[in-house]
Amino acid sequence: MVLDPQFVWNGIVVGSIISVSALGLTLIFGILNFINIAYGDYMATGAYIAFAVNAQMGLPLVVAIAAGVGGMAAGAVLVDKVVFEHFRTSSPVTLLIVSIGVAFFIRNLIRAVWGPSGNFYDVPIEANPSLFGVRYSVEQVSIIIASLLLLAAVYVLLRRTRIGIAMRAASDDRTLTRIRGVDTERLVLYVWIAGGAIAGLGGIMLGLDAQIRPNMGFTTLIPIFAATILGGIGDPKGAVAGGFAIGILQEVSVVVIPSEYKFAVALAALIIGLLLRPDGLFGEATR
Amino acid sequence: MALLDLLLVVGIIAGVYSLLAIGMNIHWGDTGLLNFAHAAFFAVGAYTSAILTTPVLETGLLAERVVGFDLPVVAGIAAGTVLAAGLGFVIATTSVRLEGDYLAMVTLSSAELVRLVIHNEAWLTTGAQTLKNIPRPLESTVTTLPVSYDLFYFLLVWGLVAVTYLLFERMSSGPFGRVLHAIRENDDVALALGKDVSRFKLKSFAIGAGVAGLAGSLWAHYVYAISPVMFLPSLTFLIWTAVILGGAGSYAGAILGAVVIVVLRQVTRFIPGSVPFADQLPYIRLMFVGVVLVVVLYYRPEGLLGNAQRLQAGTSEGE
Amino acid sequence: MTLLSVDGLRKTFGGIVAVEDVSFDVDRKEIVGVIGPNGAGKSTTFRLLTGFHTPDAGRVEFAGEDVTDLSPDARARRGMIRTFQIAQELTGMPVMQNMLLAAQGHPGERALTSALGVGGTDAFEAEQRDRAEELLKLLELWELRDEYAGNLSGGQRKLLELGRSLMADPDLLLLDEPMAGVNPDLTDRLLERILDLRDQRDMTFLFVEHDIDAVMRISDTVVGMHNGAVLSMGSPAEVQSDDRMLEAYLGGEI
Ligand SMILES: Nc1ncnc2c1ncn2[C@@H]1O[C@H](COP(=O)(O)OP(=O)(O)OP(=O)(O)O)[C@@H](O)[C@H]1O
Ligand SMILES: [Mg+2]
Repeated sequence: MVLDPQFVWNGIVVGSIISVSALGLTLIFGILNFINIAYGDYMATGAYIAFAVNAQMGLPLVVAIAAGVGGMAAGAVLVDKVVFEHFRTSSPVTLLIVSIGVAFFIRNLIRAVWGPSGNFYDVPIEANPSLFGVRYSVEQVSIIIASLLLLAAVYVLLRRTRIGIAMRAASDDRTLTRIRGVDTERLVLYVWIAGGAIAGLGGIMLGLDAQIRPNMGFTTLIPIFAATILGGIGDPKGAVAGGFAIGILQEVSVVVIPSEYKFAVALAALIIGLLLRPDGLFGEATR
Repeated sequence: MALLDLLLVVGIIAGVYSLLAIGMNIHWGDTGLLNFAHAAFFAVGAYTSAILTTPVLETGLLAERVVGFDLPVVAGIAAGTVLAAGLGFVIATTSVRLEGDYLAMVTLSSAELVRLVIHNEAWLTTGAQTLKNIPRPLESTVTTLPVSYDLFYFLLVWGLVAVTYLLFERMSSGPFGRVLHAIRENDDVALALGKDVSRFKLKSFAIGAGVAGLAGSLWAHYVYAISPVMFLPSLTFLIWTAVILGGAGSYAGAILGAVVIVVLRQVTRFIPGSVPFADQLPYIRLMFVGVVLVVVLYYRPEGLLGNAQRLQAGTSEGE
Repeated sequence: MTLLSVDGLRKTFGGIVAVEDVSFDVDRKEIVGVIGPNGAGKSTTFRLLTGFHTPDAGRVEFAGEDVTDLSPDARARRGMIRTFQIAQELTGMPVMQNMLLAAQGHPGERALTSALGVGGTDAFEAEQRDRAEELLKLLELWELRDEYAGNLSGGQRKLLELGRSLMADPDLLLLDEPMAGVNPDLTDRLLERILDLRDQRDMTFLFVEHDIDAVMRISDTVVGMHNGAVLSMGSPAEVQSDDRMLEAYLGGEI
């Protein structure tokens, strides 16, 4: 059995998308300590804002990406102010259920505005070139570059900036940072900005790779969540590693299982990850 | 007359949703388990029933279904219930030990996997196409009677809702429910008092899944034709909204919540197509469901019929 | 006759050694008090005995059976019932329900018997209600029987927890600071009750308590712990006069 490098390449593309998305989810979880089911719909919102700017208003994709990312950062803050802020003292489970309501709202808002069917970005359609027998598209290369840029940016944010260091500290130990006088509400604000922006970018990447659909984010939530769990929930490094692991495994799995079932890889990773290594790949337990 | 017919249809759907909500309530309301796989239990009930009660190759041109048993409807309903309970049991064995929100993600993923299987295994389920010509129970008998079939089915469904309600209400207020409630509150205490917590969770999961399977069977036999898109996770979330709205822990609340949600969704169907945003109405309706969920959780976390005192006492910190 | 036999128990958390080579025996009908300064490892030892922690080493034998690998609920069903240091009452359940939950071998705890009320469920339930009534009256909680446990005061919660564990009618009762926050009058009566239960019901007790007077008054044997290890063991008088214990307490207080 020879492993077709094409699958590996596809896996890296998908892995980039999952990694970026998982990074945003895990940042939010680290600070706010709940699973935001609406995260997938944040991704879709970012994708649709970019779609509006790019395909509907006819502006270049770069502008559209900036609008999608910025728009969703603002959107995440808005949702927090309108909804989540009122549930700060609620249990993680209550917040999870609240986020279901938010998800319902956003997804159907998207359907109401843009309709239920699929859309594409306005990008030039070219024949996919190939290199060493691997076919690749411009979109795929852009996805990988964008994800690397984002991962580098987040790395710098978390390691080099005061707010990033505070985020990491808060993610490790919430009470400790509060005792040290970090303004948690401001931290929360920054986390929503960062998490929303990353979700928006993840959504756009997803839309570039496939189609822009209202439930695109929700249906990708499971591999994203699996990556987050595998990496140790709340651990950015782990989320990225988990994302690539799941993306590649999922695409390569078609060698052994029917491709309709490649999604099962994420599910298996999720269950095994939870049962065997609840602390994640790098073992930094957060609870 | 036409209005009455419409009301009967809405009533039947509300009855099916009530069963789903009853099943969800033993999970979340009684045991505190986050089940996000309800749509899968519903689907397994529906498909089991449909496959067992239709003959082979009864469906459309592209269908490749090679399995079918042509059994009586009762057998289908019984098997649908049992198989859904079995699936609940299997999903639960992998994950009841997990903390609440993790359990939610595993059950959600499992449900998606179930839907994927239904979608892809066309030899068994006709795949993405509709599985058609599902028989209705006693249809030939009822047509000889002076009542409409919908009235008959309405009474059948609500009769089952009533029986289920009584059984679950008794179970919940009896010693079995007491253990479930203890697990909901604090499973260490239940362990310390010798209760096999995992086993009780498994039972709770299987029982609630079974009722969802029953609902699925009743649904399939009413609507003639089913397809995988009827069993999306959003159905699970609708039932969640019903249970939270009605008041987690209250079976009467679960039924009321289900009825309210169904009425909310169906009533807007009668709004004429000429109003502004008529095309967006189905989506606006679901946006509204999302708002209802959040608003209830904020202003009335105990729901319409839930127990506010219990919730208040339950959230008080131990010293 | 030995009921509980503890041999070489050890438990570490990360770098902290919480329990180190703890061994002792408890005879049937014996009342054993465990004392020691804060952080001595008393509660951890309790959790190891009752299966809430898995030991790194050592074994626990109960009524002649090796229970080291049994789950907490399996141990409880064998007659080992514990209370928690921080009362873990079921706040969203009424006092009476908390009590009834503890009844062992309830025929109504099967889903179907519960739903249908068959299999002697009602008779058993009535019997348990009578037992609960008697205990609640003793604990001065009878008036509060329908109150949610979450609305009780700290002391009342500890009492409810004690009552609940007595409802389980155990052979060995492990009590983690049962008298904390309970008024002295009631403490006296509870101590009497423990002696009664020992004499009439052949119950065995292992209890952690900071109220040294109470420990000295009813214990047959006292185990003194410090830094995870058993420092001193013997009659109350022996342990009380053991200089090492005094030092441990003084050391702990600085
Ligand atoms: N789950 C845990 N994780 C980490 N350390 C723990 C844990 N449980 C106990 N410890 C540590 O083990 C040591 C013993 O704790 P333990 O609670 O057994 O003491 P104790 O004798 O019951 O004290 P106290 O009188 O205060 O109740 C302490 O240093 C404590 O910090
Ligand atoms: Mg202690």
